[in-house]
Amino acid sequence: MTQVLANILISASIICLVGIGFSIIFVSHRFFNLSFAIIFTIGAYLTLLFHLTNGIPLIFAVALSIIISCIINIVLELLVFFPLKRKKVSANVLLITSLGIYIIMQNLISISFGDSIQNIQPGRRYNIFNIYEAKTTSIQILTIILCIIFMSFSIILFKKARIGKKIRAIASDLNLSRISGINIKNVIFNTVIIGSMFASFAGILFALDVNMTPTMGMNILMMGIVAMIIGGVGSIPGIALGSLFLAFAQNFGVWKISSQWQDAIAFGILLVFLIFRPQGFLGKKIKKATV
Amino acid sequence: MDYFLHILILICIYIILASSLNLISGYTGLLSISHAAFYGIGAYVAALMSLRLESNFLLNILCAIIISGIFGAIVGFPSLRIRDDYFVIATFAFQIITFSILNNLTSFTGGPMGLPGIPQPVLFGLKISSHEQFLLLVGFFTVCVFLICRRIVISPFGRVLKTIREDEVFAAASGKNVAFYKVMIFVIGAGMAAIAGSMYAYYISFIDPTSFTVMESIFIISIVIIGGAGSLWGPVVGAIVLVALPEVLRFLGMPSSIAANMRQIIYGALLVVFMMWRPQGFMGEYSFTKDTSNE
Repeated sequence: MTQVLANILISASIICLVGIGFSIIFVSHRFFNLSFAIIFTIGAYLTLLFHLTNGIPLIFAVALSIIISCIINIVLELLVFFPLKRKKVSANVLLITSLGIYIIMQNLISISFGDSIQNIQPGRRYNIFNIYEAKTTSIQILTIILCIIFMSFSIILFKKARIGKKIRAIASDLNLSRISGINIKNVIFNTVIIGSMFASFAGILFALDVNMTPTMGMNILMMGIVAMIIGGVGSIPGIALGSLFLAFAQNFGVWKISSQWQDAIAFGILLVFLIFRPQGFLGKKIKKATV
Repeated sequence: MDYFLHILILICIYIILASSLNLISGYTGLLSISHAAFYGIGAYVAALMSLRLESNFLLNILCAIIISGIFGAIVGFPSLRIRDDYFVIATFAFQIITFSILNNLTSFTGGPMGLPGIPQPVLFGLKISSHEQFLLLVGFFTVCVFLICRRIVISPFGRVLKTIREDEVFAAASGKNVAFYKVMIFVIGAGMAAIAGSMYAYYISFIDPTSFTVMESIFIISIVIIGGAGSLWGPVVGAIVLVALPEVLRFLGMPSSIAANMRQIIYGALLVVFMMWRPQGFMGEYSFTKDTSNE
């Protein structure tokens, strides 16, 4: 029983990190940027490249991969999304474009690293701790601690810091914030950097804990999106609640039914929420969910 | 020669799929990433009926259309409450759930092992086995679907669909039952996708869930977007280009180990390029953006 609880906490932490990272980008961009999914994968594969192939120590490899992921995301933003937004296209166009980018990058990774399952530290066994009969590895404990740190960091960022206020201003009214003299481009850059940092970090943690495949990014991102929607867009406690709920449902499903149904359970929950309570647990009412 | 016919049959199947999705996404403006789910439901219903019940070919197709249509209504229903990219995510969810059921309900669908040995269709006592005969059969259905699409589009029903795409509130204000039209077009589109699905099942005579993944859905919507959403000939052009292009590359000597990846990279790149410079596709009239100035 405690093992199930521990598993719930661990998967909730990863989902929560992803959800927060994505929602920071989502509230300022206001569309589902699916190219974000590749940032997880890139973070993990770059770490693999630096650490395993080139022998750079893990900490530096992680830092380097996070920086490169941020740069890739910023370049995408400059080359693709800014020109598109200048044309005032709809959210659907942006979504399709980001999907196209995701497909290209995912296949590039497949070609260069192969489709097989890989590990950053093959054969390495982590220290196992027994906490009330629940077996957890050091990396899992690190994940939970980091999630809590990142969460409090982003709550402070959103509520107290200037940049957080600007992000919220953009999220609630783009034109009004432009008139008030907020440099929108600048704010979006900042959100992209913060979001990519969260994302590549989550990807690396996930890869360290489990393993990685070129398609893992989309799965993780989708879990983050589900947590964000059922928790409530724009509310960080909501995302935490959403990811706990999602992790609970999934792990409980694994415990009672079978692990194959994880995806179906997660997306079933998402559909129920989208139809009956699209604003989620703690979110405000959204325009796109009313006629 | 058989290889050439095989490509033609595939093109026909994708024309059916893309034309039916075009009704939903191109004419009604409901972007959907769930078409491979309907395609899969059609294929599995036809395959299961011919394997378990050994029933007639035409009856199987009819049942596939009806069952897929029911699922179409289920997916169409959320479009009444959620819009734009939220709705895309909802259809995505339906796609993943369907794939999960096909993949995991092993006792019923065969799971990852798929359903092998689907018998060749018998039409009025004539067994359809060669590539030529299949091409005729699939071509016949493709022409039917195309003509039905044309009929829908030029009818008053089609005009209401376009009105919903351009301005939903206006359509409702003109006394049109928007909910009925939205659900109805999903039923029609899903039913047509089921035709393509059962054709595929009979033609390949083996189906497994990997043919009906999210990537397949994305491929079908890419055909619609690149060919041109909201035009009758757009999906036809898109299907020919996107199905034939990887084959052309194969002739140019691309190593087969990266062929599948290159195929995906090509249509991913085409999606980005078209969205940036020509969002209405080769010959479309709808570019997925309403010119409303309130946002």
